[in-house]
Amino acid sequence: MSIITDVIQSTKAIIQGMGVTLSYIPKRKWTVQYPEEPVTVQPRYRGQHLLHVDENGKEKCVACFLCAAACPSECIYIIAKDDPRSPAERTGVDERFAEVYNIDYGRCIFCGYCVEACPKDAITHGYNFELSVYNRADLLKTKTDLLITTQLQSKNYRVAFSDEDVDSEYKEV
Amino acid sequence: MTQDVIKVTINNKDIQVPKGARLIEVCRDSGFDIPSFCYYSDLALQASCRMCLVRIEKMPKLQTSCTITCTDGMVVTTQSEEIEKAQRAMVEFLLANHPLDCPVCDRGGECELQEMAFDWGGLEERFTEKKNYYAERYLSPMVANDPQRCILCKRCTRVCDEWMGEDAIEAGGRGANTVIGTYGGWLDCSQCGNCIEVCPTGTLLDATYRHQARPWELAQTVSTCTYCSDGCQMSLGARGGELMRVVARDRYVNGLNGEFLCIKGRFGHPFVNHEARIRTPMIRYKKGGKLIPATWDDAIRHVASKLDSIANKHGRNSIGIVGSPRLTNEALYLLKKFATDLIGTDNYAVTDSVNLTPFFANLGAPLATHRDIRYAKTIVLIGGEPEELQPLTGKQIRQAVRNGGARLIIFNSVPIRLREQASQFIHIRPGAEEAAVLALAGGATDSLVSRKMGIETAELEKVRGTINETEGDLIIMFDGSLSAAAQSALAQLSYLLRADNRRVLFHPLPLYNNSIGALDMGMTNGAIDVTQMLDAAGRGIRAVCVAGSFLPEQLRGREESLAKLDFLMVQELFETDTTSFADVVLPAASFAEIDGTFTNNDGFVQRVRQSIPPVNQSKADWMITDQLARELGVEFGFGMSASAVFNEIAMQVPGYAGLRYPLLKDESKPVQVKHDIAVQRDISNELETVRTAVEQMDESPEKHNDTPDVGHELFKIRTLTDKVAQFHLLAAGNPRPESLNVSPLYQITLSDDLRAEAVVAGD
Ligand code: SF4
Ligand code: SF4
Ligand code: SF4
Ligand code: FES
Repeated sequence: MSIITDVIQSTKAIIQGMGVTLSYIPKRKWTVQYPEEPVTVQPRYRGQHLLHVDENGKEKCVACFLCAAACPSECIYIIAKDDPRSPAERTGVDERFAEVYNIDYGRCIFCGYCVEACPKDAITHGYNFELSVYNRADLLKTKTDLLITTQLQSKNYRVAFSDEDVDSEYKEV
Repeated sequence: MTQDVIKVTINNKDIQVPKGARLIEVCRDSGFDIPSFCYYSDLALQASCRMCLVRIEKMPKLQTSCTITCTDGMVVTTQSEEIEKAQRAMVEFLLANHPLDCPVCDRGGECELQEMAFDWGGLEERFTEKKNYYAERYLSPMVANDPQRCILCKRCTRVCDEWMGEDAIEAGGRGANTVIGTYGGWLDCSQCGNCIEVCPTGTLLDATYRHQARPWELAQTVSTCTYCSDGCQMSLGARGGELMRVVARDRYVNGLNGEFLCIKGRFGHPFVNHEARIRTPMIRYKKGGKLIPATWDDAIRHVASKLDSIANKHGRNSIGIVGSPRLTNEALYLLKKFATDLIGTDNYAVTDSVNLTPFFANLGAPLATHRDIRYAKTIVLIGGEPEELQPLTGKQIRQAVRNGGARLIIFNSVPIRLREQASQFIHIRPGAEEAAVLALAGGATDSLVSRKMGIETAELEKVRGTINETEGDLIIMFDGSLSAAAQSALAQLSYLLRADNRRVLFHPLPLYNNSIGALDMGMTNGAIDVTQMLDAAGRGIRAVCVAGSFLPEQLRGREESLAKLDFLMVQELFETDTTSFADVVLPAASFAEIDGTFTNNDGFVQRVRQSIPPVNQSKADWMITDQLARELGVEFGFGMSASAVFNEIAMQVPGYAGLRYPLLKDESKPVQVKHDIAVQRDISNELETVRTAVEQMDESPEKHNDTPDVGHELFKIRTLTDKVAQFHLLAAGNPRPESLNVSPLYQITLSDDLRAEAVVAGD
């Protein structure tokens, strides 16, 4: 083979390759400029748990320990307490409530069994996924960190609409 | 004795059963499970739940197996479509008014209704009507109640009546509106909580453990009660190093008491994790100074050097060693060994109020077990008040009379509540119990004895008549009011009263969980007793080591004694009158934190098991003694093992020969100590002593005519019960709070007035 054919062949290959590259430039981009831009999460995404309150602001959890019993990694710790006050003054919906409710995110595997076990719909998975900390002890989240009224929400996500196709990236390829 | 055997056929299987057997038991024993709610063996039949239905050939309808007595040739089917349909329908009815609030219910996880609904319940509720609504309420400081959850099995009302004789809880209303309630809405009873225990649902609940934990979270440990000498077996439920509750549910423990516990056993445990527990060893460096926290090593070294110097200066006998009848056999054995082998003093004693040594030295028959009491034919009770001081014995007596037809003869100066069960209540003068022994032994003329007791001679005739007619077990019970001579004479009564078809058994009624063990370990053989030791303080006795505390009645009038000692070491859980004089205080571990054994008034050696790690820096009493011995240069060689101590007990104490912890493992088959049975001997000397004493007895004292209040002993505030707020309410007369829906503890402040009303007596 002569050197000329070599040059022509390589130039063709480069043009071909660059053609693919350049063709992607006008197309939609999948990269998210996190944390400058929020990421989109699925509606059923399993992030940090939320402990819910009812329409009167009463904690729904009655400290039945079923979540703790269902949890395969045993990371839920509850101390139940009797609340003798009248329904209006109570912390929770019933006279039994969780005085302490801790989840150790060092162990949680986000399986969602706790959510499934809860008979009062008191615990669900939220969307918060920013759980990295500098100190491992900080992975233990207490009731204040989990209660929907007090949990600090990251600004860095948005929840996809139920009909929004967040997964199509994988389908296309 | 041969029993008639009959044949029944259950599910095509032929089974031989004794005549009179109950069908439900027979089915269960032969492996056919029968669901039931209201059936409770040893209680009157109820037949209200209709879960136990079976088909019996030639009977028109399905029958309740809990009420059927097997007859010869009976053909029974326990499983069929028809039966299952009926049972499913029953569960559906039972749940018709049930709130289904398992997540909040304290019974959730160990609820018989839950389990039954799992097996027999439907997935959907078909009833859409409004359910009956009743608010949750409190029936007493101990008992919480959610009437909606009730399935009206009436186990609670039956135990209250048959076991406790209280009849405090009853069903009221009709039909679907029937609720379990109390007279006047407030429970004024002995607060045993047995209704809570037997309730198969979450209707009656432990108010002291309300909404605290769930049963599956608790580590259950079978152990022995630390209060009275009955030695009930109980299950300690602990979580995270905290003792949360005590129960006797048969799913966790099957001891001599069944599911029975009294108020102290069931609710008296919060002292274990109480904040007033002594935290660290403390040393008072200067008399009159303050107790200053120290390390274990320092404290032990301090004690050892003091004991050493006092022994050198005043001789070994100037050191007194005192143990409490609440300690384990292991601790008491080691204390005795420490006193005799290491210190070499004769002055050791127990802080028990009764000494049964003369009784055991002359013991002519074995001790009666609680089972023997239940099936006894005649029971003679001399003094004592078992329903307050040994509640399990009280319950067994009551059941023996009510369910077993036994005859009960009571000699007592006080018309105690048990007299309602007595076939003969002999109301004697205060202090005339000795005369009863004299009369039974025939040591004096009837006219003398009855004059001293203040009764008719005919009464004694009647007693003798009853005893002579007895075929079966005759059980003689007595409390600590008898003198040494009377105890010895009584212990030999078995030889006088026995007959071919009559067995005589004894049942002493000491006050503490290990009174008998203390005696077996030889702690009662010291040269002097506790009060003599206190009197000798500062003269013969220079230093005293106490495991436990002196009883208030022992200290009464001797307040100065402890201050006169050169050195006082106390091993205690709490600060008491005794620790306030102590030069060194060492924190001891409670029964829930240690391994060991207690010996009860049946002579049963029963295990105490560690449920939680020692609270604060406390240590088991025997380990403290062991450490002290090491500091004094003697290695006992037990390491950290209580079983090693017990092995030595088995070698040294004759009655315990051959025993090992593994042999005591099964609480349903308790092992009885083999107390030496003394041969029959001439007791005329003892009788003579008793007769002289009786002759000199004062005939003037008036008899007590008032029946004491329920709980006058049970609710007494002593060192341990003082730590349970609810006991203060009860001791102050159990005032009814304004609202029944909120725990009385939140409504009634435990003011000083209220506390003062509950006399603090110390323990
Ligand atoms: S998500 Fe799974 S691992 Fe995490 S707390 Fe719930 S049950 Fe436990
Ligand atoms: S309160 Fe409990 S034990 Fe009593 S009748 Fe109701 S379900 Fe039965
Ligand atoms: S009867 Fe005695 S041993 Fe039984 S629970 Fe009560 S105090 Fe404890
Ligand atoms: S167990 Fe037979 S009717 Fe309840």
